Amino acid sequence: MINRKLAKVLSFRYIVLAVVFIALAGGLVLLPKFEKHEGIKPEKLLSNAISSERYISSDELAHKIINQDPSFLLIDVRDEESYSKYSLPNSINIPLEKLLEDDSEGYLNQDEFDVILFSNDNFYSDQAWLLCNRLEYKNMRVLEGGINTWFTTIIKPEKPTENQPASDFELYAFRKAASMYFGVVYPDQVKAEPIEKKAAPKKIISVKKKKKMPVEGGC
Amino acid sequence: MGPLIPNDLLSHEWNFIIAIIIGIAFGYILEASGFSSSRKLAGVFYGYDFVVLKVFFTAALVSIIGILYMDYLGYLDFNLLYIHPTYLWGAIIGGIIMGLGFVSGGFCPGTSLCGVAIGKIDAWVFVGGILIGIFFFSEFYTLFEPLYNGSFDGYVTLMDTFGVDPYWFVFGFTILAIVSFYLADLVRKRVKKVFYN
Repeated sequence: MINRKLAKVLSFRYIVLAVVFIALAGGLVLLPKFEKHEGIKPEKLLSNAISSERYISSDELAHKIINQDPSFLLIDVRDEESYSKYSLPNSINIPLEKLLEDDSEGYLNQDEFDVILFSNDNFYSDQAWLLCNRLEYKNMRVLEGGINTWFTTIIKPEKPTENQPASDFELYAFRKAASMYFGVVYPDQVKAEPIEKKAAPKKIISVKKKKKMPVEGGC
Repeated sequence: MGPLIPNDLLSHEWNFIIAIIIGIAFGYILEASGFSSSRKLAGVFYGYDFVVLKVFFTAALVSIIGILYMDYLGYLDFNLLYIHPTYLWGAIIGGIIMGLGFVSGGFCPGTSLCGVAIGKIDAWVFVGGILIGIFFFSEFYTLFEPLYNGSFDGYVTLMDTFGVDPYWFVFGFTILAIVSFYLADLVRKRVKKVFYN
């Protein structure tokens, strides 16, 4: 009796399996769909955002440029007009609106270089950083304070007062030297040069005259 | 969470260990379900045994449905899975050669090794043929190279090519499978029975 019942049930086994399959596959179709999270995970984005590696200081950048470090790309995310007026040496202009265009991807989405983003301060460059991070681009960094800080620290460093520590003077010396590298001329340099120039021609002229005179007379 | 190895939950060395374990299990199940018999395998071409069709179709369905459910529930990232690259003409010609080998030899490469393991002489001959084929291919590689590496279409899937929603595609595929099982059974009932072991 038991065997017969079992056999009866088992005779439907393929039908049962087919029904199970259709139910499972149909379940997939009927499941409520939701937008899947794509790109970087929120935890990773947050840890990138609070990481100290996110920013590069203007001093570090100046050091890199002066040492001709080939490992980074400078990307100016301001508009073209501002870029044409002034930008950092060897920077590439990718305005924030054009950041996601295909032409920009080659510069941003690569492993070979560190990408350093900058704008006037770090407001737009932070936005660009966030967009690039969402797209999981690697090695993105932001110039801290942007061009404004670049200007106040590297181009026009503030001279420390006498009651400040020695390290500030060292930093000032570095920044001053860096600014000279980038073409700033200091008053003490300007004064020193004309004195040398004035002295030299006088001597030469007097020597020449003395030499010429006796030769002429001799002939 | 998954896949385990691309997400670094397991190191890459585990690839081989897991492959060996799955391989042994696969071989055992093939042999246990009679797949080491060339008559059973060739039956699908002569219409007296459709077990091969049913088993492999069902296996594909189980895995794709399982993967999609796990993807839906967040246990597996569908986009990280390996997709076999498509070399169109290489696949077509290779498929014809493989099919000819299958119908004439009665084995596919995996089941032939099962046959070898239990000492079937035809399987030994078949594997010998595979080795000769590999030797031939390697020696004339420069000749076959344009076919082997040519007409590369990338890592395409049917869902991408036809732009179908994967869930609907799998549903259609399931219906297709069940209909084909039913038709296969109709054919099998009409064909004269063959007894083998």
